[in-house]
Amino acid sequence: MTAFKFSPLFLRTILFTILLGGVTFTAHAQVNVEPSVLVRVGINPLGGAEGSMGTQVLSADLKRTGMISPVGGGSGDFVASGEVSESGVTGKLAKKSGEQVFSQTFSGKPRAAVHQFADAITKAVTGLPGFATSKIAFVSDSGGGKELYFGDIDGFGIRPITHDGVISASPSLNHDASKLTYTSYKSGYPDIYLIDLGSGDRKRIAFFPGINSGPAFSPDGSLIAMTLSKDGNPEVYVMPAGGGSPTRITRTRGAETSPSWSPTGDRLVYSSDDRGSPQLFISSSSDVSEPDHLVTGNSYCTRPDWSPDGKLICFTTRTGGQFQIGVYDVASRTAHLITTSGGQDPSWTADSRHLVYSNNGHLYILDVVSHQSTPIETSIGGAGEPTVSR
Amino acid sequence: MNKKCLAPLLIVATLTLAACQSDKDKNYSGMGGDGDGSMPGDKVNMGDGGGIPPQRGDFNPDQADYQTLSSDTVYFAFDSSTIPGAERTKLAHVAEWMKANPGHSLFLAGHADKRGTPEYNRALGERRALAVREYLAGLGLPAVSLFTNSYGSDRPLVPGDSEEAYAKNRCVQIGVVVKP
Repeated sequence: MTAFKFSPLFLRTILFTILLGGVTFTAHAQVNVEPSVLVRVGINPLGGAEGSMGTQVLSADLKRTGMISPVGGGSGDFVASGEVSESGVTGKLAKKSGEQVFSQTFSGKPRAAVHQFADAITKAVTGLPGFATSKIAFVSDSGGGKELYFGDIDGFGIRPITHDGVISASPSLNHDASKLTYTSYKSGYPDIYLIDLGSGDRKRIAFFPGINSGPAFSPDGSLIAMTLSKDGNPEVYVMPAGGGSPTRITRTRGAETSPSWSPTGDRLVYSSDDRGSPQLFISSSSDVSEPDHLVTGNSYCTRPDWSPDGKLICFTTRTGGQFQIGVYDVASRTAHLITTSGGQDPSWTADSRHLVYSNNGHLYILDVVSHQSTPIETSIGGAGEPTVSR
Repeated sequence: MNKKCLAPLLIVATLTLAACQSDKDKNYSGMGGDGDGSMPGDKVNMGDGGGIPPQRGDFNPDQADYQTLSSDTVYFAFDSSTIPGAERTKLAHVAEWMKANPGHSLFLAGHADKRGTPEYNRALGERRALAVREYLAGLGLPAVSLFTNSYGSDRPLVPGDSEEAYAKNRCVQIGVVVKP
């Protein structure tokens, strides 16, 4: 195999080109990610009491980016090394030439600190944010009721958040995963709650007559978009994250659901069946405006999620009686399917390149460039409606 | 449609009654509690993009009696909240039953089959329940006696993945509640 040398800038250009080639211009030949264009990062076995765990976790994190090939310490375009202790990681990254890229201390529990090290390497060698430190939340009906679960994106440390024995649904995490908002039938009706994941405090923030559901944090966490039917019909509203007066965003005869914010926070994408079957629309997030219909070519499109870089919107679609995941390109106004064996309720990761989604009670991470799908190994069955912090 | 002309009056009555009936200990009605300024009914718009605004009853929804009018469960087509013509005789029967049995309210529970996004299904179940409520109000039942909820696809009546199970889960159950 030929070894290539890339400057980070050149590499970014290549990756960007691949991203556009693979995602946007579907009429062109699919550009596959060849192993030769992956950045090869050599990992010297990490030292310290937790070194062996750290080496394994770091290698898995880098591989999961889809842009990095972790290799033995002796080779690679870059070389990672470090020590893992109970209080954190001292990590170093150097170019093949020996020139240092960074030397940094990541504090926290060993596993969490290794994830930070992985994200720092990912950022340094690809220019894109990593998602190794991201958290996921999802719903599972494996215990009778529908309860919320929360943990690491690699499936580690998944724990139940609710023990209510009622329907819990549609979780959304804020960017640093310190807060979670979701729908619960604890009162007998669907209301929206806010949980402080640090203290465990839970507060009911929307409980109007009708449904209060599908909350989504704005990028800065100050606002929550949601569906309320208090005015006679399910419509999208925005309210302060601490509770307060909702501002109406849509006004139709159909049902509007699953709002998701643009990265700048000024617009919302959501699903509306005002034209018969559910379609995707974009509206201003500050008041009622003329909605912009996103033509996807499919008659059933729900649960959109706007990528952190603003370029793509993923969604659930129904085609041939099966539910699949589609991706809409905002600039070219075109859409295409990226799954073939089923999937729904996708959420973007921080790099705008991967999606976490569910299929038949299992969770997966999908690389939208390579179309590779990898299961998230948890011991929790009946999983659905995953969401990712970013 | 003439039935819509009555709706604003009924809604005013509904909200007034609901406000009087709120019970802070139970909180079933969605009134009171810990929401800061999230008080329902403060800006109710009638007829702009929807039907009659929903209301919550001051009773435990899980205590609704679904047996008495179980044969009047209304079924829907996939992804539709339009009450099929053939189902309307059931609602005429429900209206008759209500007139013959004063002192009762109805709890209309909307459901959707499990296929698709749970969040969209919750809205679909809500639209089905509100469509049945509007239809019954049009048959002369007072809106104050018609409560709704949506369980979406989260509480299917029939388990399984067959077309038959799906069809049975696309419905509005007619629950009977003794007037508080």
